[in-house]
Amino acid sequence: MRKMFFVLVLASLLLAACGGVATEAPAATTDEKVEIRVWGHQAPAFNEANQKMFNDFMAANPNVTIKYETFPWDVFIQTIQTSLPAGNTADVILIPGGYTCRYASGGQLLEVPADVMTLDAAKEMFFDAPLGGQTCDGKLYGFPAEYNLEYGGAYVNPALFEAAGIAYPPAWDNWDAVVADAKKMTVLGSDGVMTTAGMHYTNSDQLFTYFLAGILEQGGNYFAEDGKHFNFNSPEAVATIQKLIDMAQTDGVVDPIIFNAESEWVGDSFAQGHNAIGVLGSWYAGDAKIGYPDLVFDYVSLPPMMGTEHKFVSVGGWGYVVGKSTQHPDIAWQLAAFLGANEANVMYFNTTSATIPAMKSVAADAKYVEAVPFASAVLPILDAGAYQGNLTDPDQLAYEIIYPTILDAVQGNQTAEEAANSIHEAANAMVDSAQ
Amino acid sequence: MAFNTLFKKDSLNEGGKLTERQRRFAYTSLAPILLYMGVFTLFPIVWAVLMSFFDYTPIREGSGFLGLGGANPFIAIDNYIELFTENTKPAEVFRLALKNTFIFTALVLPLNLIITLPLAVLLESIGERFKTLFRAIYFLPTISSSVALVIIWSYVYAPGWGLLSLMFKAVGLVPPKSWLQDPSQVYFGIPLAMICVVIAHVWQDFGYNLVIFVAALQSIPKTLREAARVDGANTWQEFWLVVVPLLSRTVLLTSVLTVISSLQVFVIFQLLTRGGPQNQTQTLLLSIYENAFRFANNLGLSSAMSMVLFIIILTLTVIQFRILRTEWEY
Repeated sequence: MRKMFFVLVLASLLLAACGGVATEAPAATTDEKVEIRVWGHQAPAFNEANQKMFNDFMAANPNVTIKYETFPWDVFIQTIQTSLPAGNTADVILIPGGYTCRYASGGQLLEVPADVMTLDAAKEMFFDAPLGGQTCDGKLYGFPAEYNLEYGGAYVNPALFEAAGIAYPPAWDNWDAVVADAKKMTVLGSDGVMTTAGMHYTNSDQLFTYFLAGILEQGGNYFAEDGKHFNFNSPEAVATIQKLIDMAQTDGVVDPIIFNAESEWVGDSFAQGHNAIGVLGSWYAGDAKIGYPDLVFDYVSLPPMMGTEHKFVSVGGWGYVVGKSTQHPDIAWQLAAFLGANEANVMYFNTTSATIPAMKSVAADAKYVEAVPFASAVLPILDAGAYQGNLTDPDQLAYEIIYPTILDAVQGNQTAEEAANSIHEAANAMVDSAQ
Repeated sequence: MAFNTLFKKDSLNEGGKLTERQRRFAYTSLAPILLYMGVFTLFPIVWAVLMSFFDYTPIREGSGFLGLGGANPFIAIDNYIELFTENTKPAEVFRLALKNTFIFTALVLPLNLIITLPLAVLLESIGERFKTLFRAIYFLPTISSSVALVIIWSYVYAPGWGLLSLMFKAVGLVPPKSWLQDPSQVYFGIPLAMICVVIAHVWQDFGYNLVIFVAALQSIPKTLREAARVDGANTWQEFWLVVVPLLSRTVLLTSVLTVISSLQVFVIFQLLTRGGPQNQTQTLLLSIYENAFRFANNLGLSSAMSMVLFIIILTLTVIQFRILRTEWEY
């Protein structure tokens, strides 16, 4: 009896451990009733755009029912991390660009079939940066839905420009002009504590993005010759960090102890009138309009920080991919292409969600600019962007290595050389550890 | 057969053993909860122990049982060696987190006991109606949402316009530029950000120990206190020589619970400081979470960190039990 009991418990444990692995064969025909599950990030604008397109797809394919499930960011990331390897995931996933190659190289995602779209055709259709987020080892794994851009633009507060007697809207020819205006708008309280930052550029994504962009703008490269390791202690890297330090320590346009990613986050801080020039991606405009409906602002273009030409990298952007475990790959790809490669739908998605288009023809369409006017600040530079490449662990590199180190330097606790060497060593140790 | 008569002494076998029928009933009754514990508690623990010996990430498709093996190879104790000897960023942050976690626990435990024990004695000495009211007030933060409490404390600690800064200015003091984000603010070797989190955590958590102490005080026989008074003890002597020794088991219990909960604090750090500034408030649990779910999904390394935390908690608990155990009861 006792043995039988333990056998039962053990069997239950094994069943639980193995549960969720799909065993059914793919659907043979498209006429049978099919349910397609789609997973996405819980963002109202994304959901609204997707739901309309799902309805259109179901109307055109009456046998298909689409079940759309969304998750808050942290839950979403953890869900795909555990579900994709377990083979228990949705058929179509709207996934952040930086994550596609991570799962594709682990065999968790399907490659886009050639009859749906080839990589060459995709290169014609999409900008390099967002497309790079959906490719891996020279293979196409999905369709980029948007172009993630943390570079090239800033939010400006007209009231603070007017109060400082600065012409509005600003038309800056070079970075020094931006800093000069920012200095005029910086306000210190009677106790010497900064109450308004002239320019808030010390957010995590911005320090990361502008560090890499600064290296590229000077003609440098942050990858070592082997393409895996990094070259973060180059003269270009040191000069970029020095520039970021000088703006805070010499020009005093921001107090990085008060204004950073954890305290006075750039978006909220800008909305509350605590910074005059908020350096942040264009994606925030949609959130600002919902979260702060009375906020008056514009999104304007910024000149290159370290050179004369714009050069930058991007994490890619959200894109539609198909999980390996799908039982209906044909329909899943049909849906993914409908969402991400159909020009009318892409236009609808980008205008509804106020995102920057990954599709070249949509970015060039006057209807898009009319619907999303603030995007005009960055549309001219989209061709200058490239995909950030294989950073081994982009999140660790950005948020655990580069951001805290540069912030420490900008706060005055280490020199540009020390920061560059520290980043160089930690980043290459990360690569070595992953091999 | 009625439930209450099932295990009657006279219905047992000779030698006091259960009959076959009784044994079957016992197994059937225990099976569901054992199954539940096995699947949701025992299995994850065993899996975590196993993972700590593998270079495991769910992103790679392993070839062995549960993906352990193949692309997720067995590496013996390499994860543990990395944590304590290597200069990779996760290992460096882990060692710092280990130190921070001990500092946090070392601050929280005495502070919590210093506040809760006298407060419980004070509460016990006031009228019944007020006692219930104050007990409810003090317990309120404990049952409130941690997220809501962090929002309150973020207003308290906001730089410049925050409640604490305004209070400092009101009495002519100069507040620090930032309570939570200035890495240069260190007092007696303890970062200001850590001190701020300790205060917020103790405020949230002390109601729990307070209720335990009040209950323990109520259980002390009045005759013992009266006997002390008859023998000429004053109030302080009564408290220190009679009440405190009789509360030693409760002190043990609250100490163990406070240490365990302090070693496992996560939400307040994640939301108030996110481990900053410069990892000064990075704790073990935050480190485990970030390596498992935020960065490279290195579940092997994270599991090794979890095992280290488990061993620390186990060791401290055993030590506390040994130091504070009593050999008498009242």
